[in-house]
Amino acid sequence: MVSLPSPRKPRTSVNQPTPGYRVFQGVNGVILTLVVVVTLYPFVNIVARSFSGERQIRAGEVTLWPKGFNLTTYEIVFNDGMFWRNYGNTVFYTVVSTAVAMALTTCYAYVLSKKHLKGRGFLVGVAVFTMFFTGGLIPNYVLITSLGLKNTVWALALPNAISVFNLLVMKAFFESLPDELEEAAQIDGLSTYGILRRIVLPLSKAVVATMVLFYSVSFWNSWFSAFLYMDRTDLMPVTVYLRNLIAGATQGGNAGATTEQLSQTAANIQAVTIVLTSLPILCVYPFVQRYFVSGVMLGAVKG
Amino acid sequence: MNNAGLSRRQILAAAGFIGLATLTACGSGDESSDGKDLSKKQDGAMKQYRAGDRFKATKPLSFEVLHNNNPVYPLKDDWLFWKELTERTGVTLEPIAVPLSDYEKKRSLLIGAGDAPFLIPKTYPGAETPFVSSGSILPVSEYLDLMPNFQAKVKQWRLQPELDSLRQSDGKFYLLPGLHEKVKSGYSLALRTDVLDKHGLKAPGTWDEVYEVLKALREEYPDRYPFSDRWSTNTTFPAGALFGYLGQAFGVRAGWSYLNISWDPAQEKFVFTGASDGFRQMVEYVRKLVADQLMDPESFTQTDDDAVKKLLAEKSFVISANPQELVQNYRYNLQKQVEGSRIEMIPVPLGPAGPVVLGGSRLENGMMISSKALESDSFVALMQFVDWLWYSDEGQLFTKWGVEGVTYTSSGPGAYRPKEGVSLLGSDPDAPKDMQKDFGFYNGVFSYGGSWELVSSSFGPDEKKFQAAMAQREQLPVDPPHPLGSVEQEQASLWDTPLKDHVTQNLLQFVLGKRPMSEWDDYVAELKAKNMQQLVDLHNKAYERYEKENA
Repeated sequence: MVSLPSPRKPRTSVNQPTPGYRVFQGVNGVILTLVVVVTLYPFVNIVARSFSGERQIRAGEVTLWPKGFNLTTYEIVFNDGMFWRNYGNTVFYTVVSTAVAMALTTCYAYVLSKKHLKGRGFLVGVAVFTMFFTGGLIPNYVLITSLGLKNTVWALALPNAISVFNLLVMKAFFESLPDELEEAAQIDGLSTYGILRRIVLPLSKAVVATMVLFYSVSFWNSWFSAFLYMDRTDLMPVTVYLRNLIAGATQGGNAGATTEQLSQTAANIQAVTIVLTSLPILCVYPFVQRYFVSGVMLGAVKG
Repeated sequence: MNNAGLSRRQILAAAGFIGLATLTACGSGDESSDGKDLSKKQDGAMKQYRAGDRFKATKPLSFEVLHNNNPVYPLKDDWLFWKELTERTGVTLEPIAVPLSDYEKKRSLLIGAGDAPFLIPKTYPGAETPFVSSGSILPVSEYLDLMPNFQAKVKQWRLQPELDSLRQSDGKFYLLPGLHEKVKSGYSLALRTDVLDKHGLKAPGTWDEVYEVLKALREEYPDRYPFSDRWSTNTTFPAGALFGYLGQAFGVRAGWSYLNISWDPAQEKFVFTGASDGFRQMVEYVRKLVADQLMDPESFTQTDDDAVKKLLAEKSFVISANPQELVQNYRYNLQKQVEGSRIEMIPVPLGPAGPVVLGGSRLENGMMISSKALESDSFVALMQFVDWLWYSDEGQLFTKWGVEGVTYTSSGPGAYRPKEGVSLLGSDPDAPKDMQKDFGFYNGVFSYGGSWELVSSSFGPDEKKFQAAMAQREQLPVDPPHPLGSVEQEQASLWDTPLKDHVTQNLLQFVLGKRPMSEWDDYVAELKAKNMQQLVDLHNKAYERYEKENA
């Protein structure tokens, strides 16, 4: 037996912070403010660049405020058909992929949360296995191609439909719902699906909102699957467009590149594209964020 | 016990035998299909196709081509290029668009998955090697008889030695490279000529004169480094451009063109570049520039932007350049910021090696062809088409300049101008149409190499002057072929990278004065400890073997 130390009485009451704690808070505040500045600066800088003149950017004059203010860059990007085409693709891919992912993840998580399910351990194991092992790039590509999914939205939506991390969070959340609710619903004559739809989901708004946010942000930002499985420019999401734009400008110095190919995309066009691409996520995030904290925490500690 | 051992051995022997049998079976299978019976693969091909003929498919064909999608001129389906191409040849190209940013990645994936299109352009010499052993790439050297224009160019421009350097250990080559009639030099020093004039200095012609000019500038402006260089980030070799053309003056491959192994014609064998005398002299030269405070020590670490900013702010007067950067960046921005400024690019200054340019640079990126193409009924037509579009005079003129009267006007051979209202590489910023963006010509996927007449037809005045001076120089001999076997290749790349890293690191230490030159021998000893000699021997062995087998 290990003897535990007897609990001591707290020295001060909770209401009166010690001087040490105040110092801690002060230091905390300063450090966090610095972190905020460091995180925000690149973004503010990009926004400032997007309104600035090419020459001023090249001369390194632009920091926090636009120099040589103009809107022509925005005009140029707005008139680029391919940008909007790809932008539309991103919206479409994100919506479809998120919908598919939510449907599949919710169902799987709900099933896994039932303790009486036979083979539950195996089903969890199958999911977790994929966190550590994958078939690799080429086998995946061959699979997607031979299923005929190439150049369709399904090549993006299906392979990424279940994120195991999200699945486990949801499972934990469903497990935390009291069984009695479902038993009562059962007695009142609801089927399994009825319980999921009418009882469980309405009670799970927080976690659902969080998952939608997780999924949609990751689909919005992803480029690699689309790069792999799409063969035409007009099918690419805007992230690939952006990546190509920026890489095209920075690859200039490569040894092999012939000098003719070195013409660069203007720095202000890059900035405008970055701003426009991150704008929607930026707008949505604050509104969904309040679910986000509670959603992730829910099910984290179980009684 | 004994029994078990015996049976195991038997099993092993049996397995080995079966393996061997399969291998030989495969080998002979390849032989027969490679047996060049192309009579059944003549769909759409021309019966009589000679150099100078225009290829015209006898029935409509279409081929898939991997297309490196450059963001400067993004792929469009309505380019005049596609339409006109189909009209002239009866062939429709179906591009598979791959973003330029990750072209190599997707190319490996497609080849690895067996899903590659027939035509895989924009492949640099050496990049085809990893795919050779898988058998997914066609040994194009076996089918050159289908390509009369290619053969004619190789003969006319005496490119055989260069071409031989592409051969793999089986004696074949797998890449159809871009062919240049003459070496096109890319980089040299650019100097503020107005500042030179102000102090009565002349543009230098040799590296010794470069030193003198920099010294004189330093005396006039003691608070500034006259030379601050760029092309040091995003590259494995700091100041990659400078060491490239400086090394050339000392007869060694350095900078971007650095290779651990180089051919020494005097000894008739391969030697280690980073330990050679020429390399040492080059290091000592730059070391002197840095030690005498003529060259900014940040040159080897700063970003391109920072280096250019120093030039624009008149903190430095000399920088590495290529003709595009000179005109579109340095001069353009300098004129806005410094009144009366002039900046010129000089022909690469001469060094101990005399008026030479490095050999081997007449091959450019080119095309791999998927092995699957051989199974196609229209294989012969495909090869003829490739030969016409990429290697015939007419094809090259078409991919570069487009259609006469629509995209360009001509006043005699070699004298082409974009048509009124068409801009080429910013030649006319107000023009409503752009040669690359709106018509799809001068596209890096299709247009490269060619006769000097064609290549130089798009030069601006600065580049013309520069290239004319450089074209006078003699080309150093090309390395003889020394293809490694696939096991040797793997071994070599294990040794290669650490050696290269060690050379680069120590180059910087010597140049920046952090390591005294007296330690050069120690440095060579360190290279030896990293298998330098083994690597050199490996290549010499491969060279001797190739010589013997192909004598």
